[in-house]
This record gives sequence, C-alpha cells and structure tokens, in this order.
Amino acid sequence: MNQSKRPALKLLLALLAFVMVAAACGDSDTEGSGEDGALRIAIVAPSASDDLAFTQSMVDAVNALDRPFELEITDGTFVVEDAAAAIRGYAEDGVDIVIAHGTQYGGSLAEIAPDFPETTFVWGTSTDTQGLDNVFAYNPAADEGGYVNGVLAAGISESGVIGVVGPIEAGDAVTYIGGFEAGALASGASSVNITYTGSFGDVTLASEAAQAHLTNGVDVMTGTAQMVVGAVSVATANDIPWLATQADQTSLSPGLVVASQVYRWEVVLEEMLDLRADGTVGGQVFELTLENGGLVIEFNDGFDLPSEVRDAADAAIEGIKDGSIDTGF
Amino acid sequence: MGDFFTASVLVATIASGVRLATPYLLAGLGETIGQKSGVLNLGVDGVMQLSAFFAYYTVLKTGNLWYGSLAAIGVGLVMGLIYAVITIEFEATQGISGIGIFILGLGLSDLLFRELVGTPKPIRRLPSVDIPLLSDIPKVGEALFQHNLLTYTAFVFVPLSVLLLSRTTFGLNVRAVGENPHAADSLGVSVERTRYAAILIGNAMAGLAGAALVLGLGIFQPNLTQGLGFIAVALVYFGSWRPAGVMAGALLYGMVNATVLQWKALNIIPVSGSVLANMAPAVITIVALAFLARRGSAPAALSQPFSRH
Amino acid sequence: MSTESQKLVEMRGITKRYPGVVANEDVTFDVEYGEVHTLLGENGAGKSTLMKILFGLTPADEGEVLLRGEPISISSPADAIDARIGMVHQHFMLVQPLTVAENVALGLRSGRRPFTDLDVVSKRIHELSEAHGLAVDPSTEVWRLSVGERQRVEILKALYRDAELLVLDEPTAVLTPQEVDDLFVILRHMVDDGRGLIFISHKLHEVMSLSDRITVLRNGRVVGSTTPAESTRESLAEMMVGREVLLTPRKPVLAAGRPRLSIRDLSITGDRGAVSVDNLSVEVHAGEILGVAGVSGNGQRELAEAIAGLRPVDAGTIQIDGTDITRATTASRREAGLAYVPEERMRDGAIGEFTVSENLVLVNHGSSEFAKRGLFSHAAIRKHSEDKVNEYGVKTPTVDTPTSSLSGGNIQKVIMARELGVKPGILLACQPTRGVDIGSAEYIHRRLIEQRSEGAGTLLISEDLDEVLGLADRIAVMFEGRIVAIVDAADAKREAIGLMMAGVLDD
Repeated sequence: MNQSKRPALKLLLALLAFVMVAAACGDSDTEGSGEDGALRIAIVAPSASDDLAFTQSMVDAVNALDRPFELEITDGTFVVEDAAAAIRGYAEDGVDIVIAHGTQYGGSLAEIAPDFPETTFVWGTSTDTQGLDNVFAYNPAADEGGYVNGVLAAGISESGVIGVVGPIEAGDAVTYIGGFEAGALASGASSVNITYTGSFGDVTLASEAAQAHLTNGVDVMTGTAQMVVGAVSVATANDIPWLATQADQTSLSPGLVVASQVYRWEVVLEEMLDLRADGTVGGQVFELTLENGGLVIEFNDGFDLPSEVRDAADAAIEGIKDGSIDTGF
Repeated sequence: MGDFFTASVLVATIASGVRLATPYLLAGLGETIGQKSGVLNLGVDGVMQLSAFFAYYTVLKTGNLWYGSLAAIGVGLVMGLIYAVITIEFEATQGISGIGIFILGLGLSDLLFRELVGTPKPIRRLPSVDIPLLSDIPKVGEALFQHNLLTYTAFVFVPLSVLLLSRTTFGLNVRAVGENPHAADSLGVSVERTRYAAILIGNAMAGLAGAALVLGLGIFQPNLTQGLGFIAVALVYFGSWRPAGVMAGALLYGMVNATVLQWKALNIIPVSGSVLANMAPAVITIVALAFLARRGSAPAALSQPFSRH
Repeated sequence: MSTESQKLVEMRGITKRYPGVVANEDVTFDVEYGEVHTLLGENGAGKSTLMKILFGLTPADEGEVLLRGEPISISSPADAIDARIGMVHQHFMLVQPLTVAENVALGLRSGRRPFTDLDVVSKRIHELSEAHGLAVDPSTEVWRLSVGERQRVEILKALYRDAELLVLDEPTAVLTPQEVDDLFVILRHMVDDGRGLIFISHKLHEVMSLSDRITVLRNGRVVGSTTPAESTRESLAEMMVGREVLLTPRKPVLAAGRPRLSIRDLSITGDRGAVSVDNLSVEVHAGEILGVAGVSGNGQRELAEAIAGLRPVDAGTIQIDGTDITRATTASRREAGLAYVPEERMRDGAIGEFTVSENLVLVNHGSSEFAKRGLFSHAAIRKHSEDKVNEYGVKTPTVDTPTSSLSGGNIQKVIMARELGVKPGILLACQPTRGVDIGSAEYIHRRLIEQRSEGAGTLLISEDLDEVLGLADRIAVMFEGRIVAIVDAADAKREAIGLMMAGVLDD
C-alpha cells in the first residue's frame, strides 16, 4: 500500500512536533541591557518561568539584580537529560553564570562543571557543592518561613486541624513542611495532616488531596510546589485560608492567601557575583534566611488578619533571626 | 484506620473517586469507540490538554462554563479531523501519528497558555448539581448524586455507548469496520465514513474529558493531564473494549487514588510510606483488571489502515 | 443462441492495466439467466480483476458493463448490491465476532433506524435457509461456525440482498468433498430459479461437473469458451497453460524400503491451548510418498511444525533413520537428513527481502562450499545459484532479485531447489503447490517423484485431494488430530476419503 507516502508523512509529523516543542519549551528570551561587557547569565529550570512558584522566583530574582546582564532561559526541562544538554550548551556558548535551578541537576553538573573551569555554575537547592570549585550552591532555609506560616495558620485556625499538600518528600518541600509543622504545633495547633501526592505536576491530585483534608476538619491549608494551584482552588471554593511559599500566590486567591514566603535569590546571587568579580568562581554554599533577607514573608493586605496573630508572626520572625527560636532544622 | 470507616469519610472518598474517574471515563469511552472502528489514537492526552486549555481560556474570557465545554468539544473535533485525515486519507501509521497529536496538543496548549495567559488565574468551577430525590438519599446521595454535570454526563455515556455500539446500525458498522473492514466494504459500508465518524465522536469525548478536568479544577497549568490520556487508553485495553469495563477501570483507579489520598490525610499512611502508596492506584487497577476482565480481544483490524487493494 | 435482451450481464472489451501489468485485455464475457458460467484460469490470469471490476472494487480502464441489457456504471460494492449482484469472495468477507444475523444485516437499511432490526433479519434468514437448504442459526457468532457453514452465510448474504447474479470466487478451496457436493446442489437450485452464476475455479473436475459454459483466461485475455460436453480436463488445462500438461503424474513402481521417519504416540498442543495432535503414530519408508489428507485445522500444520522443530511436543517421539530428533534443534534435524517445504512459504520458507541467491544458500551458507574462513565466497554462491535457477526453471531476472518480487510458483521452486539440493533422507512437503500455477505444479510433482525414486521418504501434507491421490503411495487421513485411516493409494476412492476427512468412518 502507500509505502512511498509514509516516510514523507512521518517526517512531516516529526517536523511539526519538533516545531511545537521548540516553540513551547525553547522559550528563550533575552532580557537585560545586552551591552558589551554585560554579564551573561543563563537559567535552566524544570517548570515554566511563570509558574508562580519555584522557577518564576529565580527568573524574578535575576531580573532584580543590580548590575548589567544578559539573561537566557531554558525552562520546562523536567527531563534531566534535556537540562544537562542545555547546561552544557550554555557553558560552551561562553555564558558566564549558568544557574542550574533544580536539585535533580546535581549529577549532570558533576560531569559538566569540571570541563568549564572558567564558568560559574550556580546550583540549588543544595546544601553542598559536591566539592566542585566552580559551583556555588544555594539553599533556602524554607523551614524558617514555614515556621512563620505555621504560627499564622495556628493563629487563624479554629479547629486546630491544619492540612498540608506537598509533592514528593524531598528537597525544600521537606524543610518547608517540617518548619510549618513545628511552628503550628508550637502555637497551639492540635494536628497537622501532611499529604505528599507523589507528583510535582498533578494538579488534580493536589485538588483531591485538599478535598480529603477538608473532609477531616481542616480549616487552614498550605502547600508547596507548582501543582498546589489545584489545592488553592479548592481552598478558595471552600473559603479556607491559604499560606503560600516559594512565590507570592495572592493573585490565585486574593481574599484567602494570608501570607507568602518569598525567595529573594538575588540576595545570594549578588554575593556570588561579587565573589566571582574578585576571582572566586565557586566552591561555597549560600543559605537564604530571614536574617540575610533571602527569605521574606509577604503579608496579603486583602486578608483580614487579626492583629494578635500578626504580632505572633512578627515575633516568630524576630525569634528566628536572633536564634531564640529553633525551627527544628 | 477507624477514622476511615466513618460514614462521612467514606462518602467523601467515594465522591472523590467518582470525580477522579470522570476524565478517565470520558476519554476512555471515546477511545473505545475509536478503537472499535479499528483506529488506535494515542493522542488522547494531547487532545485533552488542548481542549482543557481552550475550555479554560473561554471561561476566563466569557465566564460561561457552557461556552467553555463547547469550546473543548470543538477542539476535540478539530483535532479528531486532523487525526482522521492523517490516518485515513494518508494511511499513516497510527501509533506514531497519535504520538504526534499528543505532542501537538501538549506543545500548543503550553504555548498558547504562555502567550495568552501567562501566570495561572483561577476561573469558575463547574458547580455541583443535586439530582432531585436521588441526592436526598442519605449518604448515597451525597456520594453519587451531588456532582457536576460533566460527571453525570460521563456516566450516562456508559449505557449510551453500549447502546450505540450494540444496538444501532452505526454501531454495527463500527464493529464490522474494526474487525474486518474488507467485509464491511464488500457490503457497501463506507469504511472511511464510519472511521471518520468514530474518530470524531471519540475525540469530541476526549475534548469533553479535558473540559471536565479543567472546569472541575478551576485552574490551568501546562501539562495539566500528567499522562491521564495514556492511562485512559490503557483502560480501554484492560476494560476489554467494553464501556462497562472501561467504567470499572476508571472507577477503580479513581477510588484507589481517592482512598490513598484520604489515608494520607488521616495519617493512616504515614509520610514515610507515601512513595509506595503512590504506586497503588496503577498497580491495583492493572492487577484487578488483568484478573477480573472478561477476556475480550482487540478489534482484529485495530491500527491497520484500510485500502481496497 | 439467445438474443441480447436475454443476457443477465455482459462485460464488453474490458481492459485494466496496473503499473507494469495488463490484468485484463479486451475481455468480453457474459452470463445468461439460469446458467453457471465458469471463469477458468491460472493465478494471475485476470479472473479476480474482472470480478473486482464487476463488483465495483476497482474501475476498468476501458470497456463497458451491461446489466439486463442496460449499460451500467458500478463504482462501489454498494452500487453492485443495488444492481442485485452478489459476490462470495475466496477469503470469506465475514466479521468473526458478529453473529450471522449481524453479518447479514451489515450495510442494509434498517427498518428501525437508527437502531438495528436483527429480529426481522433473523426471521428472513430462516425463510431463506429453508427455501434454499442453507441451514444456519442466525444468532450464532461466525467464529463458532464450520467453514461450510460460513460459506452458507456468504451465500445467504447475497440471497438476502436478492442477488440475481452471484459471483463465487474459488468457493470450494476450503471445503471437504462432501461439502462441495452439498454446495453444488444449492447452487444448482439457485440457478434453476433463474439466477445467473459466475463460478471461478481452477479445480478442473469441479468445473466439469458444475458449469454450463466455461471461459478460459490466460495472461489477462480470453483464450476461448467451451462447454463441459466439448472438453476434457486435459483440454481445459492445456487452454489454461498454453501447452500440453500432464495432470496425473506417472510414477515408477517401487518396493517399500526401510522406515526413514518414525513417529510414535505424538501429542501436541495447538495455538489455542487445545490438543491439536492426539497420540499419533505413523511411519514413512524409503522410496515412499505418504500423503496426509484432511480438512485444514485438523492438526496437519502442528504435526508438520513439530517434525520441523518449530513447535514443542507434549509427548511421543520422532525419529529419522533411527535417530531421535523429538527435541533436537532445527540444525541437528537437518543434519539428520530432514528437508522442509513449509506451508507458509513466505513466512517460514523464504525471506522476501533477501535475493534469490541468498535464499538458495540460506540453510548451508556456512558450509565450506560457500564460505572460507568465515567470509562468503560470492563466486561460489553465484555459480551455485545460477545452476539451481537453470535446473529448476525459476523465472527471475537475476539471482540478485529480491525473492518477494517473484510469483508464488517461482518462490516455491526456489525453496524446492534449496531443500532438495541437500539430498534429504526425509522430505516434509506442506501444500507444495497451493497457489502455484499448473505448469510449476507439474514440475514440482515431477521433482517429488524423482526424490522418491532416489530413496527418500516423503511426507506430503496437502489439502488438495487430487494432489494426494495422484502422488502418494499410501494416504493417511487426518481428523481431529488423529490418523483415522491409512489406505493404499491404489485402492483409494475419492468419495471414501472425503467421508473420512469429515470424520465419517464405516466400521
């Protein structure tokens, strides 16, 4: 039968598919000044650059840098091999700073970084540099904001039962949720129910996980990773206050987001760039904390927060900064 | 464990399972009709992604949930038409063409979302509609008869699909064309027209599945389906190409998922056990259907292009 | 002779060209009311193409079709059915999982649209069954039916559509002799009703017994028309092939030698898990052709595959010249002297994409004759291939032509040349001439007899009873996995064997 037609058609389909994928994923926009001598920075990240969560926080941070730079982005590389190819590509291309924004890229970096000793690789979230001299690692002390959010949640909750929707038990999800649990329990919550759905992307599961929490008497919720939009949606529909992390999620539920723990990666990025300017291309670990301004709690004015709860939260922030409160991490 | 066996928790779990099953059921029934006509469509997931986006975008712009559902059906029909032309007119290999449709739907929905929406904005969700009388039955009513209209639609489609396939002349043509297209052709049944119709019906249902998904959530995100459409295709196989089998599979999958989530919320499954528990829905569904399913066989002409020579 | 208006159908000057081939050239053919007109010809003579044109499955390049005296354009099977033309295809056009009624109803306009009206259809099927002696249950799924019953469904489909002109393409290929007799009674009954019938066959004795008129096609052209009274099987064969043909092979009388193949108590499980060969024992002697007769599906295929080493054996033994090969590898079976001409020649016998030459050395390309230090000796392979092609009269442009582009008869000759080239002790030949033109079949038969004269034992498995009767020294009849009788070919009667093939044994 039409044997001769098929290869051409397959090619056409493959081409179509390629164009679509390229259009969707290779959304490489160049921003910044672009003048000669500007620093070239690239971000490789697993989710979309406008995910209102992990990836967007880094894009926003780089754009907030106080010096001339040129930014290139490869996002949506949830396949590690694709990310590795992008990382190597940027390094070969002479990019100065390659930000590998995902714990899962560590293995790839260990292979790639030694081949480009002049390039600075910025990797996180991670608590070590794998002994690589040209890798800066960053790690948010997500437990700190988690603790503050926990204090807020316990203050608002009437039932004392609080629900948490997390992705996979790993990385900063564990620290955030751990801090949250500690803060909530220390402030009078009776129970913190934690569900790890098993997926960073499955919005439906996050939604049903939130629904399951509601069945069990939860009246305040939090969650982390990009699939939580499903849980936020359920919270909104049921008038349940929500505590956000990773980025300001107020736009998702203007009347119910109490506060958001926001990552200001630019604080540590600035420090890394200064070190690089002085000749140190890597080898250090940076932590984002409330103390150094890498973590900020953004309160939502649209939520009617009782003043004594706000005071308790502020006290917790000060306590964490001065070390009098231990978040458990 | 005791907490789980309280009426309110069981009711909520069943309701959750029914909600979770809905998109699988709609997509699986559509795929069943397509496969019965001999056309394998691996692109269901892509069709769902794109329809979900258009349903979302339409509701975002108009606020009208009906327009959103219609937009999703429209996208399903357009995607179905593309797939039908590729596989019927050009007789392309169905497996790879379906993957092409999947990538097209995934990529295009992602692209359009970034270009037209950017950051996720919530939209209205489909409201629950209580079925008169039935919803008043204690417990049962709450579990089964307080859902949104697309969920009811999905379950009403089960007997309708059976009726369509086994009692109508169109259904007879579909089955004949899927088993032995040359025999159907020799009796004056147009193989092409029958397959076009089956593909369009199947894809419209995949579109509706996308609408059910996104309008149930009230939010869109790129790659919203997370491979849901591929599981729906698998359910067709495990359900032995019977609508009731597909429904059993979808419900089982949904119920196990709902139970796991409920047990996690109740700490019956500790956090440390959640990785193992996450595999339960797929594993239990596969095992159960592999053992329970009446051994139906695939349509004999499945995924074979038809030509007269 | 009849006048124009009395003809049911007339095909005038039909020409149909496919790229590189003229399938029909200026073919003129007609059928009168109440007659059986046979189209006779070799495979590829153009019979099927002519009927595809009549049934609207492919358009003619030139020529016209007149139905009941009026010119008619038939561009699809639907048109043909509307014109009351019915066709029973060689490969049944039935949907196996559907019921008989559903198969009949397919494509019909239902009286209860959009729903089907299967009860109405079933009732009418009963009426037609009784009127024409076509017993079949409308509510049974087709896959449960016997081959003969399936054929009745095909005829019912045509009758249900009130077909006045019925085309039967090789309808007897899969039937037992009794089923053929029954079919002919039914067909004759239909013709007596005034219908016209086109019978396509290459089985000469059937053609002689059923036809009113016979038209012979060769290479797409009509070579002549005749009647059974004016012709003999030999004269028809000569018209088909274009030269004199020896229909009944002559074989020298030989004394039976020592047993070369001994099968004892063999049991085999078939593809569907059922017992397909059941405690079967048989011996094939040197200088003997043992013919296995039987309707397909009675375990012949499984028996052959077990001997060839392609299917595991549950119990029993197979020996060649005293060596047990029951569980031996295919290679050691060949060393023991086995050669195998498989039923599915394109699946098991040759590799289509390989050249003729490569297929000719497929089993012994590693021997010192063709390979030196692990490398092919191309010169030796080519010389060997060209010798074999000449010896067996394989029609191929070169020995480097892909085998799949050869005709069935020539592919079979390539396989025979390879298998007989190694001087086997036992030849296992399955359906050696199925789908092969008469000329090639005659040649293959001669080779089988030569083989016999050289002392080889031959196990011939064939559904063509004429072939078995003509070649075999003894005939083993297989039914439901067992050999129900072994008869001397000299004493064998066609009818008696036919009955045994259907499981009817006189005690």
